[in-house]
Formats: sequence, C-alpha cells, structure tokens
Amino acid sequence: MANKELAEFLAHSVELESEAKERYEELADAMAQHHNDQVAQFFLRMAQEVSHHLAEVSGLAKGMELPQLRAWEFNWPETESPEAASYEALHYRMSLRQAMTLALESERAAESYYRQVADGSDDAETVRIAGQFADEERSHAAELECMLLELPENGANLREDDDEPHMPE
Amino acid sequence: MIDVIKLKAKDYKSGIKPIWCPGCGHFSVFNAITKAMAALAISKDDTVMVSGIGCSSRLPAYVDSYGFHGVHGRGLAIAQGLKVARPDLTVLAMGGDGDGFSIGGNHFIHACRRNVNMTYIVMDNEVYGMTKGQASPTTALDWDHSKLTPHGPGVRPFKPAALALASGAPWIARAYSGNPNQMAKLIVEAIEFEGFSFLHVMSQCITFCPEQTDWKAIVHEREEPALVDADEAAKLFLHEDGFQTGLLYSEQRATWPPAAAVAVSEDAVAQLSASFRV
Repeated sequence: MANKELAEFLAHSVELESEAKERYEELADAMAQHHNDQVAQFFLRMAQEVSHHLAEVSGLAKGMELPQLRAWEFNWPETESPEAASYEALHYRMSLRQAMTLALESERAAESYYRQVADGSDDAETVRIAGQFADEERSHAAELECMLLELPENGANLREDDDEPHMPE
Repeated sequence: MIDVIKLKAKDYKSGIKPIWCPGCGHFSVFNAITKAMAALAISKDDTVMVSGIGCSSRLPAYVDSYGFHGVHGRGLAIAQGLKVARPDLTVLAMGGDGDGFSIGGNHFIHACRRNVNMTYIVMDNEVYGMTKGQASPTTALDWDHSKLTPHGPGVRPFKPAALALASGAPWIARAYSGNPNQMAKLIVEAIEFEGFSFLHVMSQCITFCPEQTDWKAIVHEREEPALVDADEAAKLFLHEDGFQTGLLYSEQRATWPPAAAVAVSEDAVAQLSASFRV
C-alpha cells in the first residue's frame, strides 16, 4: 500500500499529463481548423510526446489507490495545471516559433512544479519520482531549445492572412 | 466526502471539433462545463444544453448530451419551457453577450424574475465575434476597433450582474476563462442551486479584442462569502471593478412555476386527455 503523499503526488501527475495531452490535442485541432497546418502538426507531435509521459506516470500509479479529486481540488501553483498551454498566448496565425516558445514555457512550468514537489517532500519515494519527472521535463525543454535554435528568427511574426478577420464595413 | 467519478470530463465531449479561434475563451468554458458534468457524475441522457446564436452558442454541439441550437436571443425561452415541461432534466442555457443582453435582453430580465430552476451561462467577450467584431451591449463606450463605431459606441455598457440582480436573479456568479477550474466549481454550484443561476463568464475574444489577454492580470477572486442581501449586492455590483470572480450573490427564493400551479396544470392536462379519450 503506497503512502498518502505519494498517492496524492501521482494523482496530480496523472492530471497534469492528461491535461497537457488534451490541451495539445485541442490546440492541434483548432489550428488545423484554421489551416495553420505547420503549427497543428507541431502541437499534435507535442501531444504524442506527452502521451508517452502520461503512460509512464499512469504505469507507476497502476495498482495504487489514488485520491479522486475534482478539477478545483488539485493544488497547482497557478490557476491551471502547469503543463497546459495558456490560451492567452494563442493566435490562429501564430508561427511555429511562437508555438514552440509556448510549448517550452509549458515544459519549464512542469519541470518547476515537479522540482518544487521533490524539494518540498519528506517522503523519499516522492522525492525520487518527482525528481525523475523534473529531469524528464528538463530533457523535453532542452529538445525544444535546440529546435528553436534551428528556426529562423523571422518566424516570430504572425503569419500572413489572405482573409483578415475585419471585413470592410 | 468525495463521490466516485465514473466518467471523465473528456467523456462528455461529443467529438465534434470546435471551430472557435485558437485562444478563444469559449474553449475554457467548454472544458469547465465537461469538468462540472464529470464532477456531478451527471447523466448525459438527462442533461440538455440550449443556446441562441453566436460563436459561444455553438457549444451544445460539442457536448455529448441533448442540445438545442436555437434562435438568436431565444435560448432562454426554449430552456425555460423545457425545464417547466420536464423538471426532471438538468437544463443549461448558454450564449454570448449580444445574444443574451441585446437580442435576448428581454428574455434575460424575465428569466431572472421568473426564477425557473436552471442555469444560464453567458460567455461575455464584449463583442459580436461571429459577424466579425462589432460593439455589443457590454462593449466599453470608447472601444474603437470596429469601423462601424470608429469613435467607440459612445454608450455605457451594461453591468450584467447589476442587471440580473435588479431583475430578480437569486444566484449570480462571475468566472474568467483563464481559470477553468474555478469556473467548473461554480458551474457545479449553479446546477445544484434550486432556482435560476446566472453565471457571467469573462471569455476573451483573442481575434477582435486582443487587449482582453490583459484580463489575466486584473481578475481577482472573491474571498468573502457570497452576499445574501440584495441591497448589499446592489452596492457591490454598481461600484465594483467588474473583475471579481466567484459566487457573488445567492438568496433562496421560490421557483417558478409554484407547486400548486404544477398540480393544477397536471390536473388540467389529465382532464384534457380524458376529454379526448375514445
């Protein structure tokens, strides 16, 4: 039988990764609807990456009795789970660079969350697993940093739109 | 006590892909609704989403429940009729600020005073988004982004909470699209409330009002319990900054239709049926 602190942490981890996966899928669908296929493909790839981590987290929690928390009962540093990409930073014309930057912020936020749990826990198993998750998020962030270096700087502007939202009135 | 949650939030999504702009606050409202449904372990077969017309009014299609995408501004009329006819159903009406406060403004004030046991969610982005960005009843008087109102509408915007209170709404809350988890909790409380519950959501329009991304830094959660006195609530709603979220006002009142009227009408229906019986 797992200890309460570990079960609580794993419940948060499963939620964090689930929300991140669902948010990336939602963003991929939304970008595809608005014909921003390059960014849609990127978000879809991020969703696949996160799903691997979700499977790992779920595997660790398998057989454990995790607390059944409602959405507002999770204890997050901000209003949403850390790895869920912020709606405020989105735009249907966003560039690949902007999308990657947004994903990088999300990965860093997840790393920071896991690191805080590891630093703040007295339970050895929670410290070990949270530290491992933080390292994995750091690794994802490092991959994104490398990808960003390979992208041209001029990709930072909003993409052109042949059909601007403001019609002549 | 924590209930057993059988379905997850994503299980309440229909699978139809929303066509809202990426970054639209309505995604957050959609997620909050499905989270609330999961938290209540609500039956899809006993839940109905009713809407009017507009970007936000597309929402019923995206939820895996019964739904009715109605006529502009008339979602509340349909929803109230449905709830009165089928009080066993959980009925949520929803729409935008134009749908609810302009075209449907009359239905809104009468729904507030009538107090049918249902929930009304208004996704307020202060603009008509579907028709490409015109001023709505909640647009700031100096908002000059539309060529139709190059110097701003020049009209003071409605204060939806004050309007609801003055019209007799017994349950008034405000949420923000940047905080879907708090919103989910408020939707649960709205559904559980016995009466007309009005949830005003500040839901950003990233395309026509990009300045609304600043809301995140301005909104603040109400720390005090909800007001139960209408006079106190009136003072609050007339003088607040409009960015306070949470349950703001809650006062139990008799719902409509009264039990006696229901008994009479059921009897009348039975008599009518009998008169037509062969």
